[in-house]
Amino acid sequence: MTQTFWAEDVGDDWEEILAELTRAFRNSRQAAQEEKNFVFVVRQDDLLGRRGSGNAMVATGLLSAARTAALEGSRKGWTANVVAYDADVERKTVERWAEHLLSEGSVNGELIRVGSGHIGKALP
Amino acid sequence: MTGVVVVTGAARGIGRAIAARIAASGPTTVVGVDVAPELALSEELTPVQVDLTGANGPAMVRKAVEATGLPLLGLVNNAGITRDSRLINMTDDDFAAVLNVNLGAAYRLSTELAPLLGDGGSIVNIASRAYLGNFGQFNYSMSKGGVVGLTRALALSLAPQIRVNAVAPGLIGTEMALAIPEETLEKMVSAIPLDRMGTPDEVANVVWFLLSPLSSYITGHVVVVGGGRSLG
Repeated sequence: MTQTFWAEDVGDDWEEILAELTRAFRNSRQAAQEEKNFVFVVRQDDLLGRRGSGNAMVATGLLSAARTAALEGSRKGWTANVVAYDADVERKTVERWAEHLLSEGSVNGELIRVGSGHIGKALP
Repeated sequence: MTGVVVVTGAARGIGRAIAARIAASGPTTVVGVDVAPELALSEELTPVQVDLTGANGPAMVRKAVEATGLPLLGLVNNAGITRDSRLINMTDDDFAAVLNVNLGAAYRLSTELAPLLGDGGSIVNIASRAYLGNFGQFNYSMSKGGVVGLTRALALSLAPQIRVNAVAPGLIGTEMALAIPEETLEKMVSAIPLDRMGTPDEVANVVWFLLSPLSSYITGHVVVVGGGRSLG
């Protein structure tokens, strides 16, 4: 189990998309069972639907799942959040935000958007 | 509109209301899709009883549309199920079942039918207010969030010929909602500013609007039909 779950790119095949969502589910379930905070990391372009249906379904699916997990975690003291990053943002910057959310604990069910690609766009 | 609109999950509840709303609006043939045998009892539908999660499900729907000899005007991806439990107790089977029906079927059917949709065609995906989060519904919430992403991606890739939008119903007075214990239901309704459950017809009206040329400049958006539940 990892507390920072990075969504992997998927193609157009539904079984591949389902496999990635299942990987996220199993990881989240274990984190919840161990009452540990967790963060999903997705690409901003995928939240906005710019890189195809498969990647969009994974990114927005994880965002909604994190919101629900956050509700459940709020009763037990653990948190679930999402970090979305622009393609030109360095990985270590994203990791720093994820680590902050994991260690801080007062932010729950939130989407942190790293970069400027989302400005002026509707939030999914 | 003269042509065909496909509605999945059309045997009951919101899907049936959507099919009836479309049928009442003009000379449109509604191809209703469901696994439930009750589908055949509905007069407004050309029934197709098929498991949309099966390997050949979407292709069977396509064949049914082509058999009408009419142009495809729209698709409503409504079929959905729930298998609720807290995340810590959720089984792999319950997770996969909900994702396959609520998201996989919508994705695969949209991919199958999009080439049949002509200029001005419209896809409406039925999401849920649960995409904003709902206790005990990790799988359902993920599936409906995925539907929102699917809507955005298809809206971009199918433009400018085809519009794609989503409707996110809140608490609607369907069989599913009416099975909730009375005390729980009262508590849920008390959190809704409009102080009542919605009706399937109220969802169907919005779906009809998004299918029709009345919404010709709207694509990629989610309309929440929830009585204001998500406001405060």
